Amino acid sequence: MEAKLTRKELLKNWALTYSSETAYNYERLQALGQANAMVPVIRKLYPEDKERQVQELKKYFVFYNTEPSFIGTMIPGVAAAMEEQRANGAEDITDETINSLRTGLMGPIAGIGDTVSQGIVYPILAGIACSLAIDGSYVGPIFFEIAYKICLIGFGWNMYRLGYQKGKSFILTMLREGTIARLTEIFSMVGLMVVGCMTASRVNIEIPMILNIKGVKLGIQEQVIDALMPGLVPLAITMLVYWLVRKKVNINLIILIIFVLGISLSYLGVLGIPK
Amino acid sequence: MLLSAILVAIISTVCNWWPSHLITRSWLYPIWSGFLVALAMGEPMIGMQAAAYINLAYLGWITAGGTMPGNLPVAAVFGTAMTILSGADPSLAVTFAVPFSLFGILTFQLTMSINALWVHRAEKFLDNGNIRAMRLMNYVPSGILNFLVTGVPAFILVYFGAEPMKNLLNMIPDSFVNAMQVVGAIMPALGIAMLISFMGNKKIMPFFFFGFILAVYLKLDVMAVTAVAAIMGFVFYNTGFLDMKPAGKEQS
Repeated sequence: MEAKLTRKELLKNWALTYSSETAYNYERLQALGQANAMVPVIRKLYPEDKERQVQELKKYFVFYNTEPSFIGTMIPGVAAAMEEQRANGAEDITDETINSLRTGLMGPIAGIGDTVSQGIVYPILAGIACSLAIDGSYVGPIFFEIAYKICLIGFGWNMYRLGYQKGKSFILTMLREGTIARLTEIFSMVGLMVVGCMTASRVNIEIPMILNIKGVKLGIQEQVIDALMPGLVPLAITMLVYWLVRKKVNINLIILIIFVLGISLSYLGVLGIPK
Repeated sequence: MLLSAILVAIISTVCNWWPSHLITRSWLYPIWSGFLVALAMGEPMIGMQAAAYINLAYLGWITAGGTMPGNLPVAAVFGTAMTILSGADPSLAVTFAVPFSLFGILTFQLTMSINALWVHRAEKFLDNGNIRAMRLMNYVPSGILNFLVTGVPAFILVYFGAEPMKNLLNMIPDSFVNAMQVVGAIMPALGIAMLISFMGNKKIMPFFFFGFILAVYLKLDVMAVTAVAAIMGFVFYNTGFLDMKPAGKEQS
């Protein structure tokens, strides 16, 4: 008799992968959550054989870490497809085949997933939502929650389905042809343009000093910087911080520097926020 | 106050525990988790604005590969709660949030280390054929742990914190408030810098400046820039533009 996964198990498997970071830990990262997610699949494929269920689930206890919510759902999709083929007698699929594929995919997929979720979706939606909220509109957080979840579920479920339907050969081809690398780079480009735009709009700072040269008042910000390049101050500050990040300076130390410099330069009247 | 304190403790626990990212993924972000705290404390407007200021400071912060450079949900919950308790101007929320984001790094390290124990327990349960217990290991102990390290402190803050917080706020002079606003305005630069160093390489770095110029000179907002970027991305994907190598040079 052929063991076939129905939409029900696939939905359960997909939904449960969202528990990947519940018992998130340094030793094996998302392994336990992945094992938890595979239970409905394995139970369906080996309904009578408890021992076999245990044996099949055990392989998911290896170290596993990817971006689990947006793009990374593809990997359990592929795993479910492979488990299904294996339960139906595809003997060339071993524990090692499944795990080496999962392990091989988790890095590149995390690259795209983190770029899409944290480099594009989050900054755009949060940027809009915060502006609304600061202006006193309750639409802000509610818009964020709804739009974010639409993106999460839209990406997550479709990537899972893609993984399940197209299976490993498709994904291996993508890896080999460099499609994943190309996609990562293109999403990164989009993300960079978004954060470039945000540097101008979100790093909201200027130099409010007014020089008094022989009785003529010269406003540094209005008359010098805005004439040269509006947004020069935010860009310069961002580049400075970027340089520190690139130098691998500890993030907490950078925060400390920002606090110390920000406070002292504010007291000296060098930096201020636009009125 | 008791009810608020209990609700905030639950919010704090859930947004660090992440029982299902179908629900909790967005709870990582201050704009939503801070807003929930605001609702729980009966100050939706001030709390929401505080949450938004906190979130702006952490715009672009990324947590990739099991790292947590600063704990956003902890910053959000405690920062919002403190702003409400002290009756401070919402734009001061960043000041309250940042120290807690550092405290949050500790709680994150703690849970990430201790959670490893449950994986071993789960494995043992599975070996004994107890699949159900294995699955519970994913949820129950990590939930209790997060309640202890992030839920209980949140409860204490909200339940006992009002008076001390108000006193603290009265000690802050106006000039310091201005200075804190400057700090809050610089903070997004750090998030942006982290994102650039995560996504950027020499080849695509110019697009960062392109986005900046579109905003500064053409006054395009973020949706417009995203639309332009998406069209470019589509064209680049089809033409393989970004895959091209400079002539006569080995691409590393």
